[in-house]
Amino acid sequence: MSQATDLAAAAGSTDPRVGLRAVVALRRLLERLEDVQVDNARRQGWSWQEIADVLEVSKQGVHKKHAGRPVGRTQGGS
Amino acid sequence: MFERFTVQARDVVRGAVQERDRWGHRSVGTEHLLLALLDEEKSSVAGLLRQAGVDPERVIAEIDRKVGRDTEELGDRDAEALRSIGIDLDAVRSKVEESFGVGALEPPPPRRNRRGLFSGWELSSPFSPRAKKVLELALREAVHLRHRQIGAEHILLGLIREGKGLAALVLTDAGLDLTELRRRTISSLDQAA
Repeated sequence: MSQATDLAAAAGSTDPRVGLRAVVALRRLLERLEDVQVDNARRQGWSWQEIADVLEVSKQGVHKKHAGRPVGRTQGGS
Repeated sequence: MFERFTVQARDVVRGAVQERDRWGHRSVGTEHLLLALLDEEKSSVAGLLRQAGVDPERVIAEIDRKVGRDTEELGDRDAEALRSIGIDLDAVRSKVEESFGVGALEPPPPRRNRRGLFSGWELSSPFSPRAKKVLELALREAVHLRHRQIGAEHILLGLIREGKGLAALVLTDAGLDLTELRRRTISSLDQAA
């Protein structure tokens, strides 16, 4: 019985479905974290250029992605 | 566009939205349209699909296998997936909430009622691009067949014509010939006319 479950666990670890699903979840987490952090930076008066520099992306890119986006339920951060 | 949908076709679209809710998915996809089309109470093509060899139980099992339930963003499934690579979503969430307040990691409410073909349709959540395409193709099929109204049959024809969504995939995986299904659907429309 335990051998069967071990086998199942071992098979599961190389199952692309599990791995790819983790990538999706991680991407969602990344996107949400980025929103939260960019909102906070803006509230603290950071320019798009400053945010872009730290994120290591272009100013145009960060502006396009985040300007005009509905702001999440974040508070504080001052 | 929706004023041309028959009462029954509207029921199918509403049924698809209900399926989305039942599965805990984010948007209404072609798979939810297919499930609604298989509902005998709402759909006039449910019988036709069964006769063509579509087993609703099997469709449900296939969708469950391919996408699963509860794909809510950063919901239980995401938490489970992140755990598999050693990330504790609850820990991340509580850290973020410490700095930015309760609910900081929750997505903002979606923007609703954008302009366009579907702006007049009351929706609590949007259709996936593919599902929208299916409904547009349903309209096109009706126009092509010179039918004034769009019924459940046309939605099915749209689903077949789109051909690449999860619904079409589930149907072809089950060994169904979509060209044959299309022929059957059109002939049932001819009989009704």
